[in-house]
Amino acid sequence: MQQRIPLTLCLIMGILMIVQFFVPHKLSETTFDLVVKWVRIISAFALVLGVRSITVRSIEQIRKRRKDWVYSIFTLLGLVITAVAGLGWGVKAGTPLRTIYNNILVPLGATMFSILAYYMASAAYRAFRARTKEATLLLIAAFIVMIGKVPIGSAISGRLPDFADWVLNVPNMAAKRGILFGVALGMIATSLKIILGIERGWLGGRRQK
Amino acid sequence: MKLADILGKIDRRIIFIVLTIVIVVPLLSPIGLVGRVSNRVRDLFQAIDNIKPNDKPLLISVDFDPQSMPELYPMLLSVLRHAFAKNIRVMVMGLWVTGVGLGEEALKITSQEYNKEYGKDYLFLGWKPGISAVILGMGRSIKETFPTDYYGKPIDSFPIMQGVTNYRDIPFLLSLSAGDPGYLTWISYAQTRFGVKLGTGVTAVSAADAYPYLQSGQLTGLLDGMKGASEYEFLLSKYGYSKAFRPASQAMDSQSLAHLVIIVLIILGNIGYFLARKRS
Repeated sequence: MQQRIPLTLCLIMGILMIVQFFVPHKLSETTFDLVVKWVRIISAFALVLGVRSITVRSIEQIRKRRKDWVYSIFTLLGLVITAVAGLGWGVKAGTPLRTIYNNILVPLGATMFSILAYYMASAAYRAFRARTKEATLLLIAAFIVMIGKVPIGSAISGRLPDFADWVLNVPNMAAKRGILFGVALGMIATSLKIILGIERGWLGGRRQK
Repeated sequence: MKLADILGKIDRRIIFIVLTIVIVVPLLSPIGLVGRVSNRVRDLFQAIDNIKPNDKPLLISVDFDPQSMPELYPMLLSVLRHAFAKNIRVMVMGLWVTGVGLGEEALKITSQEYNKEYGKDYLFLGWKPGISAVILGMGRSIKETFPTDYYGKPIDSFPIMQGVTNYRDIPFLLSLSAGDPGYLTWISYAQTRFGVKLGTGVTAVSAADAYPYLQSGQLTGLLDGMKGASEYEFLLSKYGYSKAFRPASQAMDSQSLAHLVIIVLIILGNIGYFLARKRS
């Protein structure tokens, strides 16, 4: 019963939404509106579940003194402080929440991303070696795109940006399209498996055949 | 130590120092390298330029957070300046809760520059949970999906919302996207289903992923990374829409030199590799 009800609901709603997409009838639109409202409400509940999940997990980490448990204290502190600041003083400019956002989250986020440049430079130097024909091709393509996509490329030669665009528009696009088709087919297959109850991982717990 | 070892095993601290120098020096003393404006950026500029002034609003979705701010925030500022300079009305919202502050800040800066009035010339919707449900819901009714603005006032009470019901009343939608949810979500749920005209601005690293959608016509214009932002800034300056500081254009000098350094490092590494291989 625990499985049959959700599986039946999933089957009905899955087929209903597929049919609804292709039927431009008033009833179909009303159904769509109703379902969208339900999804919005369920999404709001997901936030509550998310907060509960991170709180429980962090407390567990601290209680059992697991690896890097100290970071969990900061996670909890961050959660409580921002929640109190947001609920207590609102979210407008000049409020404590905005101060935390502007002076902690923004610089920390920007710093995290900036550090990537250093690691990428170091990793490119160490890993980008022309060991095989394929690696050499990759190297040449990377050179062309890297230099063609910055203003200095135009300064070196007016044709470099064109060549970089060709690499991106033709060989890159051909590969991308192939990957996209593969992903789309995979998504359709997985969706059908979920709707028909073959894939039951979303139910949680032990996988049953 | 042999030359092969020197070239093949440069200490990472040296790499970091050299990279810091080539990034910081152009920021302090700009070189002023100007690139060519690509068709992708020109198409996006044109699409926004073609929106009627004081009419239906341009919708901008801030789908990024502070981590991708250096690349995407200059795009947001530029597009807002473009819209305000042409008296195009603007609505700003976001699919990333951590990007809400950036959207509000950008509106505050640019609206003051052009003396724009909240509720009449621009509106800030903020963020709502639900992602796909929010996008789909807006296709039916923006007012039902966002009954109030970010500050809790009913959006019906603002003049900008007069005659605006759903995507049919949005002449152009721009998603400044750093990942998922982002422009792909807008393509899946808004562009494909409701036919809304959509453009995007993305980080350079994910620009190649957007090219197929550009070629298929699902995207009208693309700002690819800091280069795209700098090209947009150039167009704004060229057409006299803005004389404000151009952060992306200045940062492109640093990026150009950083790319050159990485290329030189790769060449040195490969010379070292081949010398070592020859020796062994």
